[in-house]
Amino acid sequence: MLFAATNLLTLPDYAVIGLYLISTIAVGIAIGTRMKTGTDFFLGGRRLPWWAIGMSLVATDIGGTDIIGVGGAAYSYGMAVANFEWIGCVPAMIVGAFVFIPFFYRAGVYTIPEFLERRYNAGVRSVMAACWLLFMACNLGIMLLASAKMMSAVFGWNEVACIIATAILVGGYTFVGGLAAVVYTDMIQCAVMIAGCLLILVLGLVELGGVGELKARLAEADARQALASQSNTDTAEVTGTQRTSLILPADTQSPFPWPGIYFGLALILSPAYWIGNQAIVQRSLGARSEFEARASYIWGALLKNIIPLIVAVPGLIAVALLPDLKDGDAAIPNLVGVLLPAGLRGLFVAAFLAALMSSIDSYLNSAATIVSNDLYKRFFDPKVTDQRLLTVGRITTLALVAWAVGFAFLLTSTSEQSGIYAIFQTLMAFFQGPAFAILLIGILWRRATGNAALIALLCGIGTSISLYVLNQPAVYEALGWEPLFKIQEPFLYFSIWAFAVTAVVLVVLSLLGGPVPNEKLRYVFGGHSKTEGAAT
Amino acid sequence: MTPLHYFGEFLRQTLQTVPLLAVKILFVASLVALLVWVLRLPQSATTPPGGAKRWDENLKIGAAVALAIQILIYSLL
Repeated sequence: MLFAATNLLTLPDYAVIGLYLISTIAVGIAIGTRMKTGTDFFLGGRRLPWWAIGMSLVATDIGGTDIIGVGGAAYSYGMAVANFEWIGCVPAMIVGAFVFIPFFYRAGVYTIPEFLERRYNAGVRSVMAACWLLFMACNLGIMLLASAKMMSAVFGWNEVACIIATAILVGGYTFVGGLAAVVYTDMIQCAVMIAGCLLILVLGLVELGGVGELKARLAEADARQALASQSNTDTAEVTGTQRTSLILPADTQSPFPWPGIYFGLALILSPAYWIGNQAIVQRSLGARSEFEARASYIWGALLKNIIPLIVAVPGLIAVALLPDLKDGDAAIPNLVGVLLPAGLRGLFVAAFLAALMSSIDSYLNSAATIVSNDLYKRFFDPKVTDQRLLTVGRITTLALVAWAVGFAFLLTSTSEQSGIYAIFQTLMAFFQGPAFAILLIGILWRRATGNAALIALLCGIGTSISLYVLNQPAVYEALGWEPLFKIQEPFLYFSIWAFAVTAVVLVVLSLLGGPVPNEKLRYVFGGHSKTEGAAT
Repeated sequence: MTPLHYFGEFLRQTLQTVPLLAVKILFVASLVALLVWVLRLPQSATTPPGGAKRWDENLKIGAAVALAIQILIYSLL
C-alpha cells in the first residue's frame, strides 16, 4: 500500500498545482489560435526552436509513472536502472543528431512510416503505421490508467476522476494547439519536473548530511539485507556494491543484466526509440532548420545526463532514510511526505502531473499524425488540402481521447493477473527491434528490397511474440519446458533476437531478390545529391 | 529442453565468464569511440550553414561534453 501523500497537501500545495495547470493550458490555447494548416498542427509549422524541442524530448521520455517507478526501481535494484537514461539515451541521441535526424529532415516527411514507403514500399509503411497506431492508442489508455492508479494510491484521488480529468486537460490543449502546443507545454513541464525532483534530491542529501553519509547508510542497509537474504534466497533485490553499480552481472536476478543493457538497450532499443519512434522524431521534424533539428537532440542529450540524478538517486536516499519499505514504488511518495514542507509538496505533485501530461500529449499528437497522414491521406484522400488535414487531425485527436478513456476503463475491468495489462505494456518491445532493423539496414544498404523488408518485419514481430508467449509460465509448463529466459521481464532480450532475425531475413531475401529501383536509392546514405531533393 | 534452451544456456554461461572489469572497459571504450567519432566530424555537420559565429553554435562541443560526462559516470560507477 502506497503512502497517501494527499493527506499532507495544504492550500499552498493546491495553489502551486493550480498555477501549473492554468499556465500549461493557457500556453496550449494561446498557441492553438495560430493553427491554420495541417503542417502547423502536425509539425508546428516547421517553426519550432531547438531549445524547446530538446526539453520536449526529455519531458516526453519521462512519464508520470517513471517519476515514481524509476525511484522505486532504484530502491529495489540500485542505480542500474539509470542505464535507461544514460547509455540508453545519450549515445543514441548523439548519433541520431548527426546522422539520422538530418536525413529524415531533408526527406521532408511527416512520419517514419512515410519515410519507409519512400525507401521500401506501401506495405512496409502500412504495417509500421498499424503497429505504431496500435501501440500508441493502447499506450494512451495504459498511461491514463497507470497514472490514475498511482494518483489514487499516492494522493488518494478518485481513479475515475483522474482518468477523465487528465484526458480532458491534455486532450484539450493538444486538440487546439497540435505539436507546437505539445512542445511548448512540454518545455514548461520539463522545467517543473526537474525542479520538483531536484528538490527531493537536495533536501534528501541535506537530511542525510551529504553524499558521504548516504554511502555509509547504504552500506548499513546492505549489511542488514545480506543477513536477511541468507534466510530468504528468493529475494530479487541487489546487495553490496551492486546497489551503486551501473553494471550488473549476467546472472543477476534483477531485470538489468549487462548483456541486456549493452546489446538490447544501448545497441537496439535505445537507437530504435530515439531514431525510429514517431512520437520522438516528429518534434525534430518540426524544427526551424536542419541545424536546429540536430541541436535539439544534442541539447536533449545534455539534459539527459542529469535525469537519473534527480529521479533514481532519490530511490537510494529512500533506502538510507526508509530502509524497511516492502514495495519499491512506495519509496518516493514516502520520501515526499518525510522531506517536503507544505507548498513544496505541491511542486512535487506538479512535477508528477507534468511528466504524465508531457508523455500523453506527445503520443496523442503522434497517433493523430499517423492516422491523418499514413492512413487518411495515403489511402482515402491523397489530394486532401492542408486546411482539411488540420480538421482531420483535430477530429482524430478527439476520437483518440475518447478511445483512450474507454480503453482505460476496459483495462480496469481486467485483473493484472490476467496478463492483458502486461501484454499491452510490452507491446512496443514486440516491434521496435524489427522496425529499427529495417530502418537501419534500409538507410545503410542499397540492396535492401521492399518485399524483403516487409517479410523480415513480419518475421521479426513474430519472433518477439513467440518468445513472449513461450516465456509465459502457463505455456512452458504445459509444454514441459524450462523458461527460455532466466531473468525477470526479459524484454531487452526479446528485442535482441527479434532484431537479429529481422536483419538476417532482410539480408538473405534481398540478396535473392532483384535490383532496387533508383528512386528508392535516394533514401539510402550516399544515394543522391541534396539538390535533387534527396535525403543524402 | 529444446535446441533453443541449449543455445541459450551456452550463451548464458559464456557471458557469465566475462569479468565485470572487462564489461566496464567495453562500456567506456564504446563511449570513447563515439567521442572520437564526434570530434572528427566535419565542420559542415556540426555548425549552421555559413559556420559558427559563436562557440555555442558548434554542436561538437555540446555532444563532446555530454559524452565526456557519460565516460566519467561509467568509469566511476
